[in-house]
Amino acid sequence: MWNTIIKNIFKRKEAVNLDRDDAQGGSAIISGNEAEGLKKIFGRSVRIRQVDAGSCNACEWECIALGNPVYDVSRYGIDFVASPRHADILLVTGPISKSMVLALRQTYRATPGPRIIIGCGDCTVDGGIYRGSYAVTDGLRGILPVAGIIPGCPPGPAEIARGVRLIVKGLIKE
Amino acid sequence: MTLRNGNEHYREVSPDEFRNECVSLWKKNCLPRLLFATDERETGQGFCLYAVFSSPGEDRFEIPFMKLAEGTFSFQSLTVDIPAFHWYEREIRDMFGLVPEGHPDERQLVLHDCYPKDIFPLRRDVTVEAIKERTDDQRIDRYPYIKVDGEAIYEIPVGPVHAGIIEPGHFRFSAVGETVYYLDPRLFYVHKGVEKHFESAGFNKGVALAERISGVSTIGHGVAYCRAVERMAGVSIPQKAVAGRTILLELERLYNHVGDIANMCAGTGFAVGYARGTSLREELQALNGRVTGSRFLRGALQLGGLSRDVLEHAQHILDTVLSVHDKFIKYKKFLFSDVGHMERLDNTGILPEEIARNLGATGPAARASGIQDDIRTSHPYLAYKRHAPEPFAELTGDALARLNVRAREIDYSVSVIQSLLSRPVTGGISADIPEIAAGSHALGYTEGPRGSVFYFVKAAEDGRPLRVKVRSASYCNWPVISFAVKGNIVPDFPLINKSFNLSYSGCDM
Repeated sequence: MWNTIIKNIFKRKEAVNLDRDDAQGGSAIISGNEAEGLKKIFGRSVRIRQVDAGSCNACEWECIALGNPVYDVSRYGIDFVASPRHADILLVTGPISKSMVLALRQTYRATPGPRIIIGCGDCTVDGGIYRGSYAVTDGLRGILPVAGIIPGCPPGPAEIARGVRLIVKGLIKE
Repeated sequence: MTLRNGNEHYREVSPDEFRNECVSLWKKNCLPRLLFATDERETGQGFCLYAVFSSPGEDRFEIPFMKLAEGTFSFQSLTVDIPAFHWYEREIRDMFGLVPEGHPDERQLVLHDCYPKDIFPLRRDVTVEAIKERTDDQRIDRYPYIKVDGEAIYEIPVGPVHAGIIEPGHFRFSAVGETVYYLDPRLFYVHKGVEKHFESAGFNKGVALAERISGVSTIGHGVAYCRAVERMAGVSIPQKAVAGRTILLELERLYNHVGDIANMCAGTGFAVGYARGTSLREELQALNGRVTGSRFLRGALQLGGLSRDVLEHAQHILDTVLSVHDKFIKYKKFLFSDVGHMERLDNTGILPEEIARNLGATGPAARASGIQDDIRTSHPYLAYKRHAPEPFAELTGDALARLNVRAREIDYSVSVIQSLLSRPVTGGISADIPEIAAGSHALGYTEGPRGSVFYFVKAAEDGRPLRVKVRSASYCNWPVISFAVKGNIVPDFPLINKSFNLSYSGCDM
């Protein structure tokens, strides 16, 4: 183990540069030249509470992947937190199943303001592939005030990080 | 009346005999696979009930089925004799309004209290609008959890929104000090009505829906669905698709198993092990992305074969898989050299063989508890006719056994991929699907990373499915977790849960 640690100290870091649009994880859906980095926008601190509201679990895996050494978003000050009371952002995934509506609303109420609601994945737009089923609602917009939605099925880790950055940046400019 | 479709042997029995028939199969050591109902009133057949069993030692499914008489909305429960059917029967009660007489558990399973009690979604004459109109998503779910009485027993409620980035479900622990005495899980928070949705989506669109039943089990579900429909149409897929699908299935198993072993490190708080394992998983998912355009292998399947030629990337797949495998061997050695980590896994979350068998556990969870059950071996499909793994099982049934089963399967997956890629296959990647005859039906099955996946598809008169029954591996494995947790300390629950790697979405649908 000591060998690994010493080797890692001297080895070049191989984490993906999430500031770049060609970052690994599939082609960029949100294009454009983003001069400002994540660091600058969040001032090195943003806390995300992820809420699964009926997702197939692919979006969650991509959020989890953001924490692995390849993407390592905590170097930008982004962190996924355990409680909505610690959160700045609610990152909601899934088509909002009927059984989760109440829990989602309660999570929202437990989040202190100012709070930003971001949808993650195509399902949050209008139910996505499940649209028209009896057990899902017609998307996140009908339930909570949404700042923006990150498209993809599922969006890759780099896309989620970039999406969060773009949406928050848009709010700051306003 | 008997009916045969390949290895599926259907036998119609009267409602009175159905129970005896099932119990005699169970006593003959046939493995119960699934139990489901269909609503065939539109063709004058009424409600039908099918049970599927695997014959031991041969590639044969025994499928006794019965038709309920008109005006009958109940059947004799099988649960007391065959405990593996306890959830299936509760689900049938929720979704069809057919009451299993004598079932020991009268609580609702799938539908939460937001749904009306007198509407049964899977009945064919119930429309989506009718259900939506009467659903009130503000109604609080008052599920009667099983209460443990006694001195010093207290309850710990957890969820549905958990601390980590995981799916929603509520767990009610009854603990004595640190020790879990009983765990009552409440699932189906992510119920999306997928089985009903299949009926309106049509056969072709069903592929995308099946791919999204459970996030990381795209190919396991996708291939099972495609195979069911292809069997109904009587189509055999080209050799290239056979090899391609098998490779995709094994790629899926690889990234799941590597990820599961890494996640168990998260369960024990072993950060270095977690970081190294997730890096390996990331390499495999990046490979998935390059081969199919999706990190979760989505969109590569279509009815009749494949939608893209994955064998084009043969060299690339081989190089990455072999290099990851080399790293994995070192990684495994590293994990086993860490006493703290191993100590936590050893003897934790023991699932006794008897309970695994009675509740119908499947996949690595069953194989870690002494049950030699693998669909690839018992009912070989695709390229597994030549590459079926040797039957094996670990005996201890603890978290360490589940890790060992996965590590062994990783080695096997690599060898299957290697031997399939070493033989060039020519020809097309997809066959045409003719129109599917009304009333035709078939089973589709695969061994996914979490265990066996079953689909039963039946066609209606209007060229759409009359019924798509989905049975994911997690649906079988969720009920056993209460038993695996019993007697362990509460902080070990995340570790035990991770060692099973259960999908909420795959179970809730």
